Amino acid sequence: MSLERRMFTRELKLIAARPGDILKPIWFLMLVISMVPLALAPDSDLLSEIGSAMIWVATLLALLLNAEHLFQSDFSDGVLEQWLFLDRPLVWLVGLKLITHWLFHVLPLILITPIAGIILSVPTDVLLALLVTLVIATPALTCFSGLGAALTLGSSRSGILGVLVMMPLFVPVVILAAGVLIRAMDGSDTLPLLALLGAFSVVAATFVPIVVSAAIRLNIGGSN
Amino acid sequence: MIFEPIDIEISDLSCERDDRSLFKNLSMTLNSGQILRVAGPNGAGKTTLLRTIAGLFDIQTGTIRMNQSPLTECLQQILYIGHKPQVTKDLTVLDNLKFLTGSDEDHLKRVLSDVGLKGYHDSLVKELSQGQGRRCALARLWCVEAPIWILDEPYTALDVEMVKTLDARITSHATAGGICLFTTHQPPQSLNYTTLELGHVT
Amino acid sequence: MGWRWFHQWGSPRWFYERAGRWQLVCGWLALTLLITGSFWGLALAPVDYQQGNSYRIIYLHVPVAFLAQALYTAMAVCAVVLFVWKMKLADVAMQSIAVMGFAFTALSLVSGAVWGKPTWGTYWVWDARLTSMLILAFLYLGVIGLRAAIQDPDQAGKACGILVLVGVVNLPIIKYSVEWWNTLHQPASLKLTEKPAMPASMWIPLLINILGYYIAAGYLILGSMRAIVLERERRSAWVRELVSHA
Repeated sequence: MSLERRMFTRELKLIAARPGDILKPIWFLMLVISMVPLALAPDSDLLSEIGSAMIWVATLLALLLNAEHLFQSDFSDGVLEQWLFLDRPLVWLVGLKLITHWLFHVLPLILITPIAGIILSVPTDVLLALLVTLVIATPALTCFSGLGAALTLGSSRSGILGVLVMMPLFVPVVILAAGVLIRAMDGSDTLPLLALLGAFSVVAATFVPIVVSAAIRLNIGGSN
Repeated sequence: MIFEPIDIEISDLSCERDDRSLFKNLSMTLNSGQILRVAGPNGAGKTTLLRTIAGLFDIQTGTIRMNQSPLTECLQQILYIGHKPQVTKDLTVLDNLKFLTGSDEDHLKRVLSDVGLKGYHDSLVKELSQGQGRRCALARLWCVEAPIWILDEPYTALDVEMVKTLDARITSHATAGGICLFTTHQPPQSLNYTTLELGHVT
Repeated sequence: MGWRWFHQWGSPRWFYERAGRWQLVCGWLALTLLITGSFWGLALAPVDYQQGNSYRIIYLHVPVAFLAQALYTAMAVCAVVLFVWKMKLADVAMQSIAVMGFAFTALSLVSGAVWGKPTWGTYWVWDARLTSMLILAFLYLGVIGLRAAIQDPDQAGKACGILVLVGVVNLPIIKYSVEWWNTLHQPASLKLTEKPAMPASMWIPLLINILGYYIAAGYLILGSMRAIVLERERRSAWVRELVSHA
């Protein structure tokens, strides 16, 4: 079995062993979304206007919530340092890990957002735009949150530090996605902004794994 | 199997941690068939030395070469087992080894009965005792065909019988032309090794 | 000559002694410039016909905001030096710049808010420049927080270096977001390429103050760098000697 297949199956088995890792962020997302009408007002006009933005922010938080442990348990078990001895470059393995993370941990989160959208009376065409922005933007977000997780590996009391450190870097993605949603609400052309968002994601997905592997390498070098 | 002849040449290796010099100008050559025990009191830099040779720590000063080329380019030639568990608690014994070694299931089952984990294939590692978990990590010594073994405290939590099994495995690895570096605080009885004492030079 | 110069920068002791002298020069120079510029700007410069006297906060706000942005770039330069030449002093600089940078960013946000109240009628407006300043503050905080969380100073330095380099990619995007939104906030009042719209009696003191704040920042950074060098080298013979003499 190739190393790539092995990593993939291992990830699936880990999910089977710890289903909470997938379920908790979804649970969190739905809880946050349910809080919005409670904190605001059950006014469907108001909700439909801010709903898509709320879903975006909530998804962002949920995404960060589950990315925090991307490398942590493998690091403390000493499995992560074994990656250096596998016959693949570390960047490649990190990339694989990020891809599997996106597939198994981020995609379920995106797939649940239509339900959140219905609860907040988001119009269907805006909901569609929301889904598209999430699918396009989350690879970049996954990479950045992976970097946050990798940078804070070496600190025993990091907590949500990785999230705090990486959140400011999400700004351009959030701005672009919000632009798409606003245009979708007006009914104007969203394609140019989506293309920009896609370009950002592609660039991030290309370069950030290199930085992530440098950060992992650094933290392995510091652990005893 | 027999390994190609190899030598590891360490020259002028020095390391400082937290402003304390752990070892200074360490030079030695390791050849095929050599078993080296790195000894010394706690904090003498045993783990640091092993991790440096394994390429996990950056070399501060000095060089480590394997067959004339920098060791960092030959990491696949190394099997490193540190004192962290090296296995994932939430996976079964078999799944752990499948991922790390890439060996097929039949071979792994044979190995597991050799290390006394017969019947534990499908147990989660977290259900095992500490010694059994260690056996699971050490089972890789029977699967991976790397000539250079770097074992940090391999004897911890092992019973007398497993210690003997491990000694035998290390001996056969050296006979096949491999190199083994290890640390331990209990000198193994049935193993022929040379000792590098750390902690004298400050 | 080059290598000797380079080698000296790698020596903490050499830096500690030299920096003490530079600090003295910077301190007096900054003091002179700031007193001149501030007195000129606050007392002698004419009143703005639109904003009245409240515009005078630019003599604090503009230099501080310039510094807040420039220091992040300086930190990135230090990160590059750290990774390319493995110079530990660059890491020391990065550590002290992060704190100073955050302080200047916070100061520029506060002074901006104080100016905003009489000008816009509110302390805070979500315009592009304020927002990017806020993000900058968070970026600085991230660097400070990351360093605080990692025990080993070498490792913390490298982790911060990675973060800073990734963050510096964000800086141009901050500029782009200014163009994108474009709002209430006044366009940059002083550009190096264009002749400023202000009368000379307004912008000359501003220029003096900008210079003064830059040198003052140098003074502060050198001071904190010296303190960090002492702390990191506390086990070395020369620091012990220094302490026993004191």
